Amino acid sequence: MGTLMASTEESSVVATTSLPIEHRFSPYDFNGGTVAAVSGPDYVVVAADTRLSSGYEIKSRNVTKLHALTDKCILASAGCKTDVDQLRSVLDIRGKMYQYNHRKPMNTPSVAQMLSVTLYGKRFFPYYAFNVLAGIDAQGVGAVYSYDAIGSFERTQYSAAGSGQAYVIPFLDNVIGNRNRLEEKPILTATEVVELLKDAFLSAGERDIYTGDQVEIMVVTRDGIQTQTFALKAD
Amino acid sequence: MLPAAVPSRQHTVQPMVTGTSVLGIVYDKGVLLAADTLLSYGSMAKAQNIPRLHAVEKTVIGASGEYSDFQRILEILKAKALEETTTSVMDSLYTEESGMTAENTWNYLRMLLYSRRSKFNPFWNELLVAGKDLKGKPFLGSVDKIGTTVRDNFIATGFGAYLAMPLLREKWRPDLTEGEARALLEDCMKILFFRDCRASPRIQLAKCADDEVLVSEPYELDTAAAWQAEAYRQSVGELEDDGGW
Repeated sequence: MGTLMASTEESSVVATTSLPIEHRFSPYDFNGGTVAAVSGPDYVVVAADTRLSSGYEIKSRNVTKLHALTDKCILASAGCKTDVDQLRSVLDIRGKMYQYNHRKPMNTPSVAQMLSVTLYGKRFFPYYAFNVLAGIDAQGVGAVYSYDAIGSFERTQYSAAGSGQAYVIPFLDNVIGNRNRLEEKPILTATEVVELLKDAFLSAGERDIYTGDQVEIMVVTRDGIQTQTFALKAD
Repeated sequence: MLPAAVPSRQHTVQPMVTGTSVLGIVYDKGVLLAADTLLSYGSMAKAQNIPRLHAVEKTVIGASGEYSDFQRILEILKAKALEETTTSVMDSLYTEESGMTAENTWNYLRMLLYSRRSKFNPFWNELLVAGKDLKGKPFLGSVDKIGTTVRDNFIATGFGAYLAMPLLREKWRPDLTEGEARALLEDCMKILFFRDCRASPRIQLAKCADDEVLVSEPYELDTAAAWQAEAYRQSVGELEDDGGW
């Protein structure tokens, strides 16, 4: 819509040109939130906040964004929760079928590929889900895979997605990736990484309105998955 | 005027006859729902005594949004309940006496609403589902028109999300009695009547507790006293300190 106004001292002329406005139902909603994952030599730590938003409203302060697909592999997703839920159901079913056919659960790189093809399968009506897959790979080493909404993926040492992604990734670049630092890159333990992720989420929660309430942190090792929660500000 | 050859639109683009907020709260022994009984047609108060809370088997469903879509959803759920009781299916869910719990109904409604939104023809509702979960504990959940599900101890749809949720968040405790829960909901419904211009003071309650499901008849909230508040009787500027509404 554009408004043209010309005013003189005696009179004011207002001419309005307006473009047609189309009302359309949107099948998507942005439910916010941040997820992040960091891998190590024999562990992977994945964290996500627990806030569900819609517009300026908080629908819930206690909804999980983490979903264990196998006992060694966790899918962390932000974006549109209804699509995330559907994606999880589809992956669960495909994972179960694999298990019935192969008599063993899928290993993490296979899950990573399956997620990619599942997302691309809806290339022309995407799942509005921004995923980070975290797990222990077949050699027992931690693995993190990051995705876009249509299935393009890459294995990385660490990743973050969601509304607070821009606050978390630069921090992880410096502290995990050792960017712009002179010291040698340290090898961190899982406990140290958990503390770093808490700091990352504190920062994201400070500036991102969609991130807050609580952080759910899961540490995956070959012995299984351990969960802890950490409180964030509720504003 | 449309020329004769133009086909009519078959997909929902906007709701026409609508209901406003529905509130729900979990208390010590069960779940309580509240909604007013007004259907609006834009700014017109089209019908003033229409229940928006309905019981289907052991579940109570409340709807805000397009009322005709709610009617269709109830038809579907009633047909499903009938199918359950009249057919034998090799499934423990159906052969158990309990049948579909509220949590099952919630999941089913989620699938229904998601598949309609994926065809760009949504059921334009936000539904509250109350009853018991799969483990027999009190259950309250919501589903919106694109299939977003939330399960919590207190939920409000529509305007209630902005006006009633802060009160529910502040006052909720896990050991609320039925009387306290009812008083809290009625207080929220009064506030909605005062501030939501598509709300009315004629409300309805529903309760799912122990093994009974009760939906009350509509009744009027007593708002007479509130209209006597100072702020409504004196104009701005005459009040001490406040100067506001």
